[in-house]
Amino acid sequence: MIRETLTRIRFMLSGKPPAELDEELRFHLEEATEEKIAAGMMPSEARRLALVEFGGVERAREQCYEERPGWWMGTVAQDVRYALRGFARNPVFTIAVIATLAVGIGATTAVFSVVDRILFRPLPYVHDDRLVSVGLVAPIIPQEFMLGGSYYEWRDNQKAFDAFTSETGASTCDLTEHNPARLSCATVEQNFLPTLGVAPILGRNFLAEEDRPNGPKVALISYGLWSSHYGLDPGILSRQIDVDGTMLRVVGVLPKDFEMPALEPADIVLPQALDEAAQRRADPGRVMYAFARLKPGLTVAQAEAALQPVFNISLNLAPAPFRKEVHLRVRSIRDRQMHDVKLAAWVLFGAVLAVLLIACANVSSLMIARAAQRERELAVRSALGASRMRLLRQTLTEALLLSLVGAAVGCLLAEILLRVFVGLAPSGITLLNHAQLDARIILFTVMVSLACGVVFGLLPALHSPRSIALVARSNGSARAVLLRRGLVVGQIAASMILLTGAALLTRSFRNIEEQGTGIEMNGVLSVRIPLPRYRYTTPQQRMEFFLQAEQAMRRLPGVLTVGTSDSLPPGGTHGEQIYNNIAIEGRPRASTGTGGMVVWRSVSPEYFSALQIPIVRGGEFTAEQRTSKDHFVILSSLLATRMFGGDDPVGKRVQPVPNGPWYFVVGVAANVKNAGLTEAEEPEYYRLRRDLIEDWNADAVLVVKTSLDPQAAAPWIRTQIAQIDSTVPVQVETLTQQVSKLADRPRFETALLGFFAGCGLLMAVIGLYGVIAFLAAQRTQEIGVRMALGATRIGILRLIAGEGFRLILVGGLLGLGASLVMAKWIQSLLFNVEARDPLSYVVAVLIFALWESLPR
Amino acid sequence: MPESTDLLQGTLDLLILQTLAAGPMHGWGVAQRIQQVSRDVLQIGQGSLYPALHRLEYKGWIASDWGISENNRRAKYYRLTATGKKQLEAELETWERLSAAIAMVLGRSVEVHG
Repeated sequence: MIRETLTRIRFMLSGKPPAELDEELRFHLEEATEEKIAAGMMPSEARRLALVEFGGVERAREQCYEERPGWWMGTVAQDVRYALRGFARNPVFTIAVIATLAVGIGATTAVFSVVDRILFRPLPYVHDDRLVSVGLVAPIIPQEFMLGGSYYEWRDNQKAFDAFTSETGASTCDLTEHNPARLSCATVEQNFLPTLGVAPILGRNFLAEEDRPNGPKVALISYGLWSSHYGLDPGILSRQIDVDGTMLRVVGVLPKDFEMPALEPADIVLPQALDEAAQRRADPGRVMYAFARLKPGLTVAQAEAALQPVFNISLNLAPAPFRKEVHLRVRSIRDRQMHDVKLAAWVLFGAVLAVLLIACANVSSLMIARAAQRERELAVRSALGASRMRLLRQTLTEALLLSLVGAAVGCLLAEILLRVFVGLAPSGITLLNHAQLDARIILFTVMVSLACGVVFGLLPALHSPRSIALVARSNGSARAVLLRRGLVVGQIAASMILLTGAALLTRSFRNIEEQGTGIEMNGVLSVRIPLPRYRYTTPQQRMEFFLQAEQAMRRLPGVLTVGTSDSLPPGGTHGEQIYNNIAIEGRPRASTGTGGMVVWRSVSPEYFSALQIPIVRGGEFTAEQRTSKDHFVILSSLLATRMFGGDDPVGKRVQPVPNGPWYFVVGVAANVKNAGLTEAEEPEYYRLRRDLIEDWNADAVLVVKTSLDPQAAAPWIRTQIAQIDSTVPVQVETLTQQVSKLADRPRFETALLGFFAGCGLLMAVIGLYGVIAFLAAQRTQEIGVRMALGATRIGILRLIAGEGFRLILVGGLLGLGASLVMAKWIQSLLFNVEARDPLSYVVAVLIFALWESLPR
Repeated sequence: MPESTDLLQGTLDLLILQTLAAGPMHGWGVAQRIQQVSRDVLQIGQGSLYPALHRLEYKGWIASDWGISENNRRAKYYRLTATGKKQLEAELETWERLSAAIAMVLGRSVEVHG
């Protein structure tokens, strides 16, 4: 066997010189002739007979060549040359197929790369299918959480999980050694990493004694920090690092792909070092996030049922008014991470599948058309002796060639598109910045398009060419025509669906952009100065810094007003509390339920004039109140109406926090968009931030209204701040920029879906054009006869266009019906637009009609 | 020639191997010999002999050398290789089993030709 293979390889490489075969055959014929002459024949007759007995000399020679191992490889090159010549003769077909494939593969691959991270990517944990997030759901925190008072009860008494662990979130921290940096530090329980199945790549996890109050100060650092700050030096394990003024010993380095299950940024992971005994007694205790590993074979629903007893214990501990609004939640980590982007991801995924289907339909119908055109050619080749295998191989070669070129261009396009997506995408879209082209994804899309091309390319070649094709003009099989019409109708329907989706999202996006926010953003700059905590340790220092900064801003030319706040509308983080905690003097506090959430901010008197928020009742805060011992508050009209009904709240006293100070209501401000751009406004109140230390526990953001070009004012602002302290970081942004960032998500979704709708429609038009051209070519004879019998050009055009019009009508109606059915799925992505918004559909149909009438 | 095309490919290979087992031979000689031995019943299409010879050579069962024929002409002589010998034995065995089985199905005793 081995020798045989070796021989074959030798012959494959060297072959035999053709002269040898010639000599061999000549010898045979001469021997045969001589034998016949010897038997008494005439030489010429003998030679003729010898040739007859031998059979075809040329055929024998060819057969001998074909026996050579690897002979077929030569024919592949021949097939490729032949295919290339064919492509060059038919450039429209070639470009159409390659462009379709490239767009299909490119778009699909790029979007799938994005969506894959969100929907399908395995999480970087061992047994990620069994890891869940466990906790309570209450209006106060958007995602499930636990409280120190009951977490330990749950951990010790649950029966559904192999492991139960917690983390207490991440907060900013400052690395203050040679290369200072503002980082994010996450705090976790000792068994946190083992539960996730994450092992440090260097060093070890925390020990139990390190996760106790006053235990040894240790830290794990992320791979990123290890690489950027310590040059991947393994010696890091013996190092101490200075974080927020505390020396920590690095005991390990986390894997490169490590991420917190709730996706908080974590450069440094610290033991949370909670006092377990104190937490058990505490009510409510520390807010924690619990994660657990299901026992094998248990479902999430079973685990939830099994947790019910411990949940009931916690519920009994909770104050009675809260009980109705607290629920138990167990869900996979992926669901927790993706709670708000999942739908968008699925919609994108659906859109991309639609585009891929359109691309495949297009390639298929082009291939079928070409095959039908070439029926004659194949019949001729077959008659000249090409075997069925040879013809199949030829078709396959062509399909593969086209697919490969299309795939190559498609991959290039995918890379470009992905960069564009990532560039366009708002930072808020989870994990998008990590998206990259994945070999699996490329392979998948290439395989799909390849399959389309090959299957539909081969279909017609499979039944042997009919001999009639040689004599009569081929009419193409009726089946192929039906198939092509079906494909075109499908394509048109799919692009109609994409188009209505894009129209709905566009309208929704315009609604978001054009709604009033209640604040005036023109000429307003926000100046954020995150003070390093290790330098500004006391409220006194912070207050002095910000008061100086406020004065400095006022001195700048062109500055009209300078206000301060601790947060800014319409989105982002801000103070929030439960409505029913607010007491009104002379009235009992409400005792049922939470009453929902109320937003609050801590502002200076100029805040309202800087943002031009009208005061509708009472007055603004005054400069004198800034130094008063009393507390003052302004309510939003929503809150005022809710608390006081039609009564005038000005002069009344309210107590926002039980046992806290009482505040005088000095006025009522107009409502402001304060829960993001797409959510309804929440009630809100403004505390006056006085020039007293007790009001300066948090940093401030300065709101600067200027009459100059905001971009020009920014450098002056930086200079002013640098004069106070040149080491603090300063972020200057226009309010318009900030608000526009909030609309990034819908803008991104709209742009993507619009892009797909365009792609789909373009391809559908190519497909339609192809099928019409094909049908027209099929009917050349018929048209000729009709014209000879007196049909006008217009009549013929109407005949052909009518065919296309029917296809468009059927496809468009099908697509419209399907969109109406599917629209309800995207309802929650829409803002102030009904999923069956008639205007969007009319617009979609108009665009569709316009597009479809273009090519003619 | 019509008969020859009906010859199963494996059969032709077997005949060639069997013929060469007697000693090296050129293509013309192989054709002659098969015809003589089979008493002119099997008429090998001479044209199809050469592809078969080449196939066998590519497989390494036979090898070829240039030699001088009986009437002093340069001719290509084929001979059986060691692999070819083994292959011949294996094929003969298969053939005998097959023909015995066919004979049995047809209800006749095996007729052995010399």
